[in-house]
Amino acid sequence: MAKDVKPTRKNLMAIEDRIELSERGHDTLEQKRDGLIMEFMDILDQAQDVRSDLSDDYETAQRKIDMARAMEGDVAVRGAAAALKEHPEITTQSKNIMGVVVPQIESSKVKKSLDERGYGLLGSSARIDEAADAYEELLETIILAAEVETAMKKMLEEIETTKRRVNALEFTLLPQLYENQEYIEQKLEEQEREEIFRLKKIKAKKEEEEEEAEAAAEAEAVSAD
Amino acid sequence: MSAVGSSNPEYVVARVRARRGKLYSDEEYRKLTRMGPAEIARFMEESTYEAEINALGSRHGGVDLIEYALNRNLAKQFEGILDWSEGRLYDLIARYLRKFDARNVKTVIRGIYVDASTEEIEVDLIRAGEFDDRRIRRLLEAESIEGVIEVLDDTIYGPALEEAYPAYEESGILVPLENAVDRTFYDHLLSELGRDEPTRQYESFLTAEIDFRNARNALRLARSGADIDPAEYFIEGGDLFTRDTLARLARNLDELVEYIAESQYADDLGPALRELEEADSLIAFEHATDAALLAYGDQLGTIHPVSVTPVISYILAKEREVQNIRAIARGKEAGLSDAEIEEELVIL
Repeated sequence: MAKDVKPTRKNLMAIEDRIELSERGHDTLEQKRDGLIMEFMDILDQAQDVRSDLSDDYETAQRKIDMARAMEGDVAVRGAAAALKEHPEITTQSKNIMGVVVPQIESSKVKKSLDERGYGLLGSSARIDEAADAYEELLETIILAAEVETAMKKMLEEIETTKRRVNALEFTLLPQLYENQEYIEQKLEEQEREEIFRLKKIKAKKEEEEEEAEAAAEAEAVSAD
Repeated sequence: MSAVGSSNPEYVVARVRARRGKLYSDEEYRKLTRMGPAEIARFMEESTYEAEINALGSRHGGVDLIEYALNRNLAKQFEGILDWSEGRLYDLIARYLRKFDARNVKTVIRGIYVDASTEEIEVDLIRAGEFDDRRIRRLLEAESIEGVIEVLDDTIYGPALEEAYPAYEESGILVPLENAVDRTFYDHLLSELGRDEPTRQYESFLTAEIDFRNARNALRLARSGADIDPAEYFIEGGDLFTRDTLARLARNLDELVEYIAESQYADDLGPALRELEEADSLIAFEHATDAALLAYGDQLGTIHPVSVTPVISYILAKEREVQNIRAIARGKEAGLSDAEIEEELVIL
């Protein structure tokens, strides 16, 4: 509230400094927000592609495993799955996009060659190979989707925070500072006007007193004559 | 019953013929493709699968019930054939049905490998091979892979598994053991076959099966691009490849496809090979090899009426029935359309 501020020249200078800092901060945050939105749009495109791939890969994998279960039997498919020993591994690192720390997921042992899957080649069929291929593909897409979507969520959170900061500066802090500045300026002007008026009054009074003194002196001189 | 004594094809063929008459017809398959899993189970309950559906109905449901009932019925039928057979006929039938033993050995080994319970392993066994209940029980009781090898010591799989065990210990994966089991099955498939005409017919069927298996594996290797020596996966006994030819061709998919397209199987596999080039999938090729083997199996049944061939023809037809019903039920469960099931899964 503007009335809480003492209308002093010192406060006015402090407020002007704060206004300058806030305006600079507002511009910077606005640029950051726009930059984040542009990065977010890129990630959004990527996330949409990955989502679509994920959906396609899931359908393909499901179809392949359904076919394998239909032709080879559930027992054979479960048996082939049980023969796998080396399970896929993921390692997470982080990278920085405009100050936002997003995860970078590296996967290993997802794609396997025929001899790494654990089941014997002689007693199995291409349907099981193709189901395994399709699921490996799906797993890679899931890992990529996890990376992209987490990055997207983190970017979104950061955009929200930055947007809130920009709005707070633009619609709350800066208007309040401008109001305080205006209030102090008005008060100071008013004080200045009062001062001038007071000085004028003093001057007038002094002149009046001088005139009175002069008149009294003249009267005294006349009576002495 | 055993490989000792004289052969009894007349008796076995007569019984098998009666069973063949109970197999589902094309019309019944078409009806099945229009039913849901529950209706299929009901339909099966009213046919030769009644005992299995009733016995398993309380433990399993849906498509699992159908699959387990099919497997159990298949095992019962083939066990019966081995029980009736004697002498040379027993040997000829058993060498084909040993594929179920090989499958069971792999199931037990995989179960132990992933610490599955005995019950979980047992439910996945198909007791259609030569192993008796006692040996299956001992296999299920084995607590380690070494224990399994010990139980199989006096069978054809024992020496091969013992030989492959160090490779398994070194790599930690089951591939050496699984390949040893499958290779032993194929090695014994053609060894010491007789020279009479029905046996030659049977031999040419088994040769075609080995050729197709070699072709499928070579195509899988060529497409995968894995750094595997193709000669390791070569099965002896076929006409189509030698070890060297396979090793050379499995490194070049185009040459391999051309080689198969110009072989004696060109008529059976040609369209599927063209599809392989277009669709980049081996499934059509495997479908074509299955269909060619089944067509050959059907012919076997009529050429020499009193020999091993009608029995083998029935075994193939029964396997096809089980495969078809399972395919229909699983296809329905997965939401495939009737046309897709008929086109992609069912081999009539």
